[in-house]
Amino acid sequence: MMAVLRVFLFGIFAIFIGLLFMGIGRKVIARIQLRYGPPFYQAFLDVGKLFARKSITHNFVMDLGMVMALGGLLATMLFVPIAGHVAVKTSTNLIVIMYLMAIGYLGMAMAVAASGNPNATIGVSRALTMMLGYEVPFFTVILGLIIVNGTSSLELISQSQAGSILNWNMIKFPLAFIAAEIALQAMMGEKPFDAMIAPAEIASGPMVELSGKYLGLAFLTHAVSIFVETAIIVNLFMGGASNIFTFVLKQFEIYLITIFIEAVFPRFKIEQAVKFLWTVPIGIAVLQLLLILL
Amino acid sequence: MDAPSYTLSKIAERDNLAVYELFFGPNHPGMHGNFGYVLEMIGTEIVKVRPNAGHLHRGFEKLMEQKLWVQNIALVPRICVVDPDPNEVAYCTAIEKIMGVDIPDRAKFIRTITLEMSRLTSFLMGMGALGAALGLYTPMYIMMADRDLILDLFEWLTGARIYHIFNIPGGVRNDLPEGWVERLNEVLDHLEKRLIEYDKLVFENPIIHKRLKGLGYISKEEAIRTGITGPNLRASGAAYDVRVDDPYAAYPYLDVKVITQDGGDALTRAVQVRLEFEETIKLIRQALKEMPDGDVRLNLGNLSMLKVPKGEAYAKVESSKGEFGYYVVSDGGLKPYRVGVRGPSLPAGLLYAQKHLPKMKIDDVAAWMASLAICPPDIDK
Repeated sequence: MMAVLRVFLFGIFAIFIGLLFMGIGRKVIARIQLRYGPPFYQAFLDVGKLFARKSITHNFVMDLGMVMALGGLLATMLFVPIAGHVAVKTSTNLIVIMYLMAIGYLGMAMAVAASGNPNATIGVSRALTMMLGYEVPFFTVILGLIIVNGTSSLELISQSQAGSILNWNMIKFPLAFIAAEIALQAMMGEKPFDAMIAPAEIASGPMVELSGKYLGLAFLTHAVSIFVETAIIVNLFMGGASNIFTFVLKQFEIYLITIFIEAVFPRFKIEQAVKFLWTVPIGIAVLQLLLILL
Repeated sequence: MDAPSYTLSKIAERDNLAVYELFFGPNHPGMHGNFGYVLEMIGTEIVKVRPNAGHLHRGFEKLMEQKLWVQNIALVPRICVVDPDPNEVAYCTAIEKIMGVDIPDRAKFIRTITLEMSRLTSFLMGMGALGAALGLYTPMYIMMADRDLILDLFEWLTGARIYHIFNIPGGVRNDLPEGWVERLNEVLDHLEKRLIEYDKLVFENPIIHKRLKGLGYISKEEAIRTGITGPNLRASGAAYDVRVDDPYAAYPYLDVKVITQDGGDALTRAVQVRLEFEETIKLIRQALKEMPDGDVRLNLGNLSMLKVPKGEAYAKVESSKGEFGYYVVSDGGLKPYRVGVRGPSLPAGLLYAQKHLPKMKIDDVAAWMASLAICPPDIDK
């Protein structure tokens, strides 16, 4: 019973923080664009409004896919240590985390492909291509860290950086951090790697057929993905944290970097994006790997 | 110009691939205005394109035959929403040509200043739209805010922000209000300072260069043959500008610098707009300096009872998108007998859509449209 409650609490926490980040991110972007911007709690209002609306479904696969997307990411969240706490006290294996994360995106792909809109289908095929693009450099980075620490447990990697700031992997392996940051930009689907949602090209792609509660679920999925992805980077490179407040603050720093890049970059075409991801971040990550090995 | 036969459709036939229709507009974030292309696609590649016009058709030319000469001035700016003043000036100039009157010099200068201000607003919107088509929204918001400063000045001068209805046969409606010129100078200084930021955000951005280079190439000969005008023509290397080659308003008294570039692709066209933006600011300053005193309108009697003598005239004006031409025929009555409008977006939006879009990926359509500054209302009229 306690375990179920714990899992539930972790899920709510991830959604809350993710939506808060989304709202603050919108405000930050607005200020960069010399606008006033919506209030920082706008994302909560949006989700509340969307869940109060009537929604259109196309078929059963679409319903299932949306739930699978949110479920997949929430399941990933359970294996990510947050300031030393893990929802399910089994393992915090990085390979498992990366594998589970893909399930969320596959769920989204399933849902929007079932909607039958060509814009959505193009968007989803782009999203999956992009996944292929960013996972290779990210796995190269992870490989280096696993070799150094001799473990694939995210919790142990984060604990090994305890103590001073000089122990952080960010300082010890700056090249790996840069490569991971570029991959993270693509993972979050922020510019210049947002070819999958490109409103001017494919009318917002995957989101085009989602309405009401489905769009609300997509919002929540994005919120959890922000939480999970920033949490992984904080654990890998910034040494986790001793309390939850510091942890969220570190996550926010990482999110702020992606938002700043998002605000001033146009988007790559999908083939340009994958070409970039398979040359620049992989090059940096392999260089770091060689430095570690030699 | 027929759509070229394309081997992809043969491959699709052989491999049993689905050719599907994708509606790019009228309801699409990448489309400006109520216009659309029906794209026949295989995968993400366009095979065939059909311009889907008519959503904005208001029958301007026929409508003008039903209205008084002066009533039409409220109608013509609606032919190009983002750059409305060239329409008013071209229409009024044509009437003045038929009547054989010469408007006061001060009116000519005021017309020139409003025309160039309108060009600035249109360029700001165009550059912003190009950024937005490539996913870069920050300059768009900043440029829209800057455009509003010019619209404020228009409101002060004419009472309206978008459709000014300021030019009348025989001059302009009123003189410049007190303090207006000083404020205009302030706004111009502000815009010049902002140019540095625009450069950093848009024109020096490597991703923008990567995406626009080689997109939608138009050679000089082809551009002249198909009737491309304005910045698009000058970006293909032809030094043609109505303001210099057939000057109207106060342009004969001003030193207009014609900028040309050889390139002819979307990137060159984007840079062309940026260069002409700077030149336009200089031109307004020049006009303000050389503006004479005097009347701003001729007394043509009661304008709603205006009778234009029998005759016909063609007047052309260089707008921000190209050449706007008005062919006006009068039978001596209270209403025009016939008004024909030549818009700059017609060759770009219809002919070049057939030529450029097949073989293009869906990624580039919005950027291609923004780079050619296609204004759908003037295609539909």
